[in-house]
Amino acid sequence: MSDNTEKTGVTRRGLLTAAAGGAAFAGAAGAARMAMVGGATGAATALSAGSAKAATHSEISLAPGQLDEYYGFWSSGQTGEMRILGIPSMRELMRVPVFNRCSATGWGQTNESLHILTENMLPKTKEFLAANGKKIHDNGDLHHVHMSFTEGKYDGRFLFMNDKANTRVARVRCDVMKADKILEIPNAKAIHGLRPQKWPRTNYVFANGEDETPMVNDGKVLDDPSQYVNFYTAIDADEMKVAWQVMVSGNLDNTDADYDGKYAFSTSYNSEMGMNLAEMTASELDHVVVFNIKEIEKGIAAGDYIELNGVKVIDGRKGKNKNYTRYIPVPNSPHGCNMAPDKKHLCIAGKLSPTVSVIDVTKLDAVFYDGAEPRSAVVAEPELGLGPLHTAFDGKGNALTTLFLDSQVVKWNIEKAVRAYAGEQVDPIIKKVDVHYQPGHNSTSMGETLEADGKWFISMNKFSKDRFLNVGPLKPENEQLFSMEGDDLVLMHDGPTFAEPHDSIIVHRSVVNPLSIWDRQDPMWAKTREQAEADGVDIDDWAETVIRDGNKVRVYMSSSAPTFSLESFTVKEGDEVTIIITNMDDIDDLTHGFTMGDHGVSFEVAPQATASATFVAAKPGVYWYYCQWFCHALHMEMRGRMLVEPRS
Amino acid sequence: MLRSFVMILVLIVLPLEVFAAVRSVPSTEGALTSAIADATPGDVLLLDPGTHHGPVTLDKSITIDGQGTAAIHGNKTGSVISVTGTDITIRGLEIAGSGSSHETIDSGIQLHRTAARILIEDNRILGNLYGVDIHGAKNATVRGNTILGRLDHRMNSRGNGIYVWNAPGTLVENNDIRFGRDGIFVNTSNRGVFRGNLIRDLRFAVHYMYAHDSEISENISIGNHLGFALMYSNRITVRNNMSLADRDQGLMLNYTNKSDLVGNLVRGTGEKCLFIYNAHRNLIGDNRFEGCGIGIHFTAGSERNAMTGNAFVANQTQVKYVGTRDVEWSFDDRGNFWSDHPAFDLDGNGIADSRFRPNDLMDHILWSQPAAGMLLGSPAVQLIRWSQAHFPATLPGGVVDSFPLMVPNNIPVPDNIATLEAEARANPIWLRERTENVSDTLASH
Repeated sequence: MSDNTEKTGVTRRGLLTAAAGGAAFAGAAGAARMAMVGGATGAATALSAGSAKAATHSEISLAPGQLDEYYGFWSSGQTGEMRILGIPSMRELMRVPVFNRCSATGWGQTNESLHILTENMLPKTKEFLAANGKKIHDNGDLHHVHMSFTEGKYDGRFLFMNDKANTRVARVRCDVMKADKILEIPNAKAIHGLRPQKWPRTNYVFANGEDETPMVNDGKVLDDPSQYVNFYTAIDADEMKVAWQVMVSGNLDNTDADYDGKYAFSTSYNSEMGMNLAEMTASELDHVVVFNIKEIEKGIAAGDYIELNGVKVIDGRKGKNKNYTRYIPVPNSPHGCNMAPDKKHLCIAGKLSPTVSVIDVTKLDAVFYDGAEPRSAVVAEPELGLGPLHTAFDGKGNALTTLFLDSQVVKWNIEKAVRAYAGEQVDPIIKKVDVHYQPGHNSTSMGETLEADGKWFISMNKFSKDRFLNVGPLKPENEQLFSMEGDDLVLMHDGPTFAEPHDSIIVHRSVVNPLSIWDRQDPMWAKTREQAEADGVDIDDWAETVIRDGNKVRVYMSSSAPTFSLESFTVKEGDEVTIIITNMDDIDDLTHGFTMGDHGVSFEVAPQATASATFVAAKPGVYWYYCQWFCHALHMEMRGRMLVEPRS
Repeated sequence: MLRSFVMILVLIVLPLEVFAAVRSVPSTEGALTSAIADATPGDVLLLDPGTHHGPVTLDKSITIDGQGTAAIHGNKTGSVISVTGTDITIRGLEIAGSGSSHETIDSGIQLHRTAARILIEDNRILGNLYGVDIHGAKNATVRGNTILGRLDHRMNSRGNGIYVWNAPGTLVENNDIRFGRDGIFVNTSNRGVFRGNLIRDLRFAVHYMYAHDSEISENISIGNHLGFALMYSNRITVRNNMSLADRDQGLMLNYTNKSDLVGNLVRGTGEKCLFIYNAHRNLIGDNRFEGCGIGIHFTAGSERNAMTGNAFVANQTQVKYVGTRDVEWSFDDRGNFWSDHPAFDLDGNGIADSRFRPNDLMDHILWSQPAAGMLLGSPAVQLIRWSQAHFPATLPGGVVDSFPLMVPNNIPVPDNIATLEAEARANPIWLRERTENVSDTLASH
């Protein structure tokens, strides 16, 4: 046998160890059928992917030190954080912890972050966590990151994101790139799709509850799906409180909003309210729910709601004869829900249908007020390929849809699709490009705004398979960045990502202007400041004060490279110790940290920030604390001792 | 004597249904409906020639036989024949006039979840939104029917010839399906057999997902957008099918695993004869892939597939391999036939004397014909280089066949099928279907 044969491991030995296949296929091939079970995987070759290599020589690529033109804001799925990338270099610039517990920054441990994580947590959740010895969830499933809008354009104020795992919505401040609000959504379960209102501004953030549960989920109703319901949530984006909810028929998947401030939309893949795969795919058609924002606001004002867990809930289910919702039938199991920047066309990806259903939102008034058939708003349904999932836009009338099963991206013209639907002999498909492998979300530069510029396209692929060096059974995902040049998509970058970016936005850098140094009056540590004032400590000035308050000890320190203001402090075994540190350095990138050795305490203190953490000094002895964010030539010397006196 | 007398008494007092009867039904208004209402289990209703009025619902174990001369026409609302009972036969009828709602899946014949062991044979099911909808009914047989769908220019306005959802034990064989959306659509349904069907002039001949332990054999797809889209299914047998003059792909395996793909013929597909995507542990043997844009597109880390005995004949690109690993496409010293392999077989064993790297063409030429090095600047070589650059993702070039065959396997195509293939190639329906809107397909027959 040849070398190659040995490498692929299709050997006679494989035959002997494997079970027989079902078919009575004669001869060698039948034996080969069996060998599959025992075969080893192939060896990687030295060559890398050709097209990416070719593209890096293009003049568009950035040299070291050159700044990117765009920010990319990325979700991370089950990692629970938000990420910031530079586009087109695809350099990862920062990770912003949101729903996760972060070892580096102390997110989920500092008192400031714990306040944000628990401030809007439901009482039932607090009880549940206490029963499990916890204060906060330490996981999240962050799928969708979207920026706040003013008149259909990104305004650089906030980023909003969902947590499917623990039914939360978070807001990140773009001036400091830290989460400032985390809201647990009552009633709904598993917040999946999330979009800010685009017009006139982001007054609301819309959020889909994906999982079906009893309306009041207290255990009185269990295995009776006929009593299950789903909730659509509008969050007041300024206050980060739930404004209202709508009960719907079927479940909710992805959502988007129009450019007129009139309607929001959600796809539903389980209009059947099925509880298993067969039941969920039983119908030939599922639907898109259209929410009429003004009518819902009127209904709330008129008192046509019930109150559930402190939230005003409108009943928008089918058959209620109200103007809150309409249900537009689309082929079985739709997924992506993307509003085009032409202000007119909403693209619903078919998933199990090889089509995208295009809804003309200007036809929705007639559906609500003139009794027009819901399907009359569908103006195109081009057959694009297998497994269409999400659509992005180039601002020039074209759409780019990921095809999960074909593992391609298809670029197509919306207007031509509309004409073809009307019976004209015209092919809307412009181009198809292979991606590796199996794309989910995609996005284009500024593509979900009125300023879509059609320069960059990213395909976020769910599998990397054999694309990179093997790192064990758990493989990274793969993201591919394309330059959009005319009708062409030129592959510029092909790179792995850790679990598991779902969605991204590409934002021109002119929109985003973060601070380099914290403002001392920032509300992030307002509660800490209150406590300091009560203790008579000025945290804006050099502080080296230890306050004793019963068995509570508050240690106020300043950090200034390469020292902490206290070389040591003394507490008693069993004291509840709070370390409050202010970074007095006001120099770009001079972040300090505080780590208490052998106590599991560690957090970041960025320039001019205050941060604090609390623990019980349960072990007598000498413990060193140190700065863990490299700060100075004498960084190693930036440390001190905590002396814990035995209780007895 | 006494015993005989008792027997007679017993027979007299037995419930009526024991006396299954053959009853003829006139084609007068309401006659069919009342005949069904009056029928007892086991009855055979022989429908008189002519048009009978639907829609009707069958809820008991009877046979309806049109003997090839009777028709049941619906009123363009809902399904023409709805079946909720068990052990029912529907035979020899023309069935037309369903409604047009996708929400209720309006069909010529619709089997509901309560139905079981239904036999549908030798009917002409014409111009309904869906032909036969097997919706959760177990062990149905659909055999020898002619199903003509619609030709609305909006593909999603059309329905499928045979729609199978959650119906284990379905047997669909020897049907002739034309027009409409997908010929046979199978979703979330195990242990089916789909055999010997002829499917033409529609979107996907067989659109198949989440359906394990099934057989798809001896079907013929002609002139469709795509022949056989087989997805998300394990342990299926795909044998002796043909895809002739289909537009995009002949056979497509997407996460179809541990399956046998054997003895199939794909000829003259515009894009790809065979697309193997993220599909594992399959046997792909003794197939013939001929005259397509790409013979086989093999990608997404498909692992542990055996390729042996296949013929790759005159495809523009024989192999588009996207991957970074070496794969050996032969098994047990038996590879595949490659029409572009300039091979010798000096020992006459049927296996070429040189191995073949199907997507490393230039290297191969230089290796086997050193004199070709002098031609590097020639237009022919440039063209080869250009072709490879055109598919840059194929560069790693990991496919090798160490035992290429000298002779291709031949899969004969019957003359009548070859005629249909030639017609589809000369005048493919997908060039016309965007503008034609022939809702009444009866008119074309």
